[in-house]
Amino acid sequence: MIEVSALKKRFKLTKDHKVKNDEKKDPREDKDYFHSVRDVSFTCNQGEVLGLLGPNGAGKTTTLRMLSTALSPDDGQIKINGIDVVKKPLEARKKIGFLSGSTGLYGRLTAKENIEYFARLHGMNKQAVKTRCDELFEMLDMHSFLDKRAEHLSTGMKQKTNIARAVVHNPEVIVLDEPTTGLDIMTTQTVISFIQSIKAQGTPVIFSTHHLDEVELLCERVSVIDKGITCFDGTIGEFKERGRSDVLNNAFLTILKEQQGV
Amino acid sequence: MFEVFLKELKELLRDRKTLLFVVALPVAIFPIIFALMGFLMSKAAIEAEQKVHTYAIINAQHAPEFKDKLFYHKNFKLVEGDFKTVDDLKTAVQNEVIDVGIVITDDARSSLESGKSNSWQVVFNDSSSLSFIFARIKEMAEEFSQTLQSEQFNKLGIANEQQEALLNPIVLEKVDTADLRENLGEKLGALIPYLLIPLVLAGASYPAIDLGAGEKERGTLETLLLTPISRTELVLGKFFTVLFTSLATALITVASMGIWMKMAGNFFEVEKITDAFSMLGFADFALILLLLIPLACVFSSLVLAISIYARSFKEAQNYMGPLSMLAFLPLIVAMMPNMELSMSTAMVPITNVALAIKEILKGTVDYSFVGMIFIATAVLAGLLMTACVHWFKKEEVLFR
Repeated sequence: MIEVSALKKRFKLTKDHKVKNDEKKDPREDKDYFHSVRDVSFTCNQGEVLGLLGPNGAGKTTTLRMLSTALSPDDGQIKINGIDVVKKPLEARKKIGFLSGSTGLYGRLTAKENIEYFARLHGMNKQAVKTRCDELFEMLDMHSFLDKRAEHLSTGMKQKTNIARAVVHNPEVIVLDEPTTGLDIMTTQTVISFIQSIKAQGTPVIFSTHHLDEVELLCERVSVIDKGITCFDGTIGEFKERGRSDVLNNAFLTILKEQQGV
Repeated sequence: MFEVFLKELKELLRDRKTLLFVVALPVAIFPIIFALMGFLMSKAAIEAEQKVHTYAIINAQHAPEFKDKLFYHKNFKLVEGDFKTVDDLKTAVQNEVIDVGIVITDDARSSLESGKSNSWQVVFNDSSSLSFIFARIKEMAEEFSQTLQSEQFNKLGIANEQQEALLNPIVLEKVDTADLRENLGEKLGALIPYLLIPLVLAGASYPAIDLGAGEKERGTLETLLLTPISRTELVLGKFFTVLFTSLATALITVASMGIWMKMAGNFFEVEKITDAFSMLGFADFALILLLLIPLACVFSSLVLAISIYARSFKEAQNYMGPLSMLAFLPLIVAMMPNMELSMSTAMVPITNVALAIKEILKGTVDYSFVGMIFIATAVLAGLLMTACVHWFKKEEVLFR
């Protein structure tokens, strides 16, 4: 169970930004700060998949980074299975598996070494590492390229390794930041089947995306962020109802338009 | 922390570029430098030695012995021409008609008899650094002078032995209290830190770029930050990797220098140098290493902080350039003649270590200074390390 409420995050503006943005003023910008995330709240229950939607620059990545403890919020609360992520980040990290479209691997380590390294960083002992790795290699069908250096792997193999790396410590929730952006159809499919298998195990998943067909396929819940503010949080059914369309794209656009009209 | 250190080391060892910089370069660089320098220098010297200079001489009849000597010298060739004045010779040298022109003003013998010395002019282009023209002419002129001198002495009835004493009434003899080691240490001692300290920096900067900016560029930093390891531990793991390679580079360099010097000693006559350095004991090497460790810490913290700040490999490399310039500056100060360890120089970072290494090599080091420098550098290293750890926790540095 993931609960996020009234999350806020601002970034100090550098001089470059101030000059550059003189003409086009973003409503989130004041004299010294850019308020990237102003008020974001959503929940995701056990066994649910939540799709985080929003235009580019809406604050999705910042939100997910706060959720994954890479950034610490200025205000608001994040709870994962009762643990306060903001107050106890080290403990929370053990419960989170994170993957984004831009996360990479150590090129000079083999696929196996990459995964094992992260397992050890998560404090797993030798036996646990071995058992868990064997399990993952079987599940993701990775045996053919385990001992190849990551720099020589194909995109699909890399993504599988990345997935294994993200879940090697048996996380209780999975956070994915645009996991399919820039991937080909085959690799995208790997990611989608992975999300489905996680869902089947009852682990909650939050992922941000621009592909609404993935949302249709995978998600129970949808949350829409625009300019740093949550403007919708609910089930797929409620989403369609609020957007007055069965086609998700149209529903999304309607919701955004209404939000901007307010 | 140890996991991070081990993994970084493993990854670095698999990187050909790192191996090249940290191992191959220091091992191979000395024989290459020595061989190349020796080859070029000897070649240039042989060429200069064998070169035949064309010359012209005005009023040669005033110094017949000198004229003949020059004429039969294997490196000189007479050019016939109508030269009357110094200016004629100058134009001729400028137009490369001759290499050197000599003007003899008066009859050397008769003017000496009347108690006057004679002044000659040698016209040539003195800009070439390896040229024997003047030295050779001077040698022959001196020979001629001696002939004239002994002629005069003989006329005055002074015996040969007395002649010698008259010409050199006082002979100075050098009694050097500096032993061979101190002497060589002063001359070579400045060079060793000049080589060693930049290598410590170089050995730190290449891996540091990979460990900081490289992680950002590959997109692995974010995943690393999400592991349940505190950022302090992460930084320290990386820091020790950088420190390790930096010291390894320095050690490999010293070892390779020693081995090659020993090998060179078998082939050439550099006994003096090998003798002097064989006086260096284990304690001296340990002391040098002891001073290099905190300095390597200083460099490692600096380059790691820079690397973490940079968004990409390229950006990090751009910052490393000015940093190495900054490191060279205090080294140049230490290289200046007569710079010595004192209370004030012992407080200038890098300069102090360079000076202390020189003193250690000379065998004249004041151990209280070494202790002071060690503490000063260690304090600086501690401050920079703390700053680096703090730096690594800042969001605006990690997610630029």
